[in-house]
Amino acid sequence: MEMNSFISCMDSEPAIPKAGAPPADLGGGTWLDLYEQHSRYVYYLALRTVRDPMLAEDITHDVFLKAFRNLGGFRRQSSLRTWLYRVTINRCRTVQSTWHQRNVISTDSPDVLDGPSTNTEDPLHVLEVKELGQRIQTALNALPSEYSLLLLLVADEQLSYQEVATLTEQSADAVRGKLYRARRAFLEEFRKTE
Amino acid sequence: MENQPNKSRLEHRQREEETAEQRTTDKTKKGREFASVEELLRFDASQVTPPPAIAERLKESLEKEPRQPWWRRVFGRRRTDS
Repeated sequence: MEMNSFISCMDSEPAIPKAGAPPADLGGGTWLDLYEQHSRYVYYLALRTVRDPMLAEDITHDVFLKAFRNLGGFRRQSSLRTWLYRVTINRCRTVQSTWHQRNVISTDSPDVLDGPSTNTEDPLHVLEVKELGQRIQTALNALPSEYSLLLLLVADEQLSYQEVATLTEQSADAVRGKLYRARRAFLEEFRKTE
Repeated sequence: MENQPNKSRLEHRQREEETAEQRTTDKTKKGREFASVEELLRFDASQVTPPPAIAERLKESLEKEPRQPWWRRVFGRRRTDS
């Protein structure tokens, strides 16, 4: 599969902070470096999972705060990105299981789908990207949550199938099989949004 | 021999169908195309910027964090990734 990724050009695997470094020692640069390298991915996963920019903002904040508090316990058994994703997935599940999320947030509202600011100032491009983002969100919403999570994780080229399998608690073969179905289901839903 | 052109046409059509299936062809107003669902999602992700407010909140939160005792800094915590 051809992958012309923007990811490869914008980040490399970050240096893992020294074990035991407390949050205070991360100030003045290092924590910000880590944040800048990973926050886009954490935020995007949260945004497309909980479907609400404000909630995604809270989740991203909580994930990184938790990460900085616990970096001392990071054992390098997985990549830092995988570790952050695991915390993000758990946090999203907690948020989604709350009464408020289930009952108050309406994903049908166009405001919810508006999403956050985009990278460009060109109004036409902003509109185009916004519309595409809404279509993607609508298609993802229509999928079983397992499928949408798989697609979002596999889209990050830094993750191997094995890491995705670990994160979603199944075998790599199961991931491949489900991914095939997830892609088809996504395409079907995505075409409906045209 | 007669079957040859038909066979070739069939193969060509099959190839076209496979290509079409592999491609997530999303033509936006500018005619942008994506080769796969993953590529489409990567493009979407590249257009989403986390609000700067998160970094500011995080900085404030970290400043409020109490300094950890030496033994925790050295040994860390037992459970980290839940």
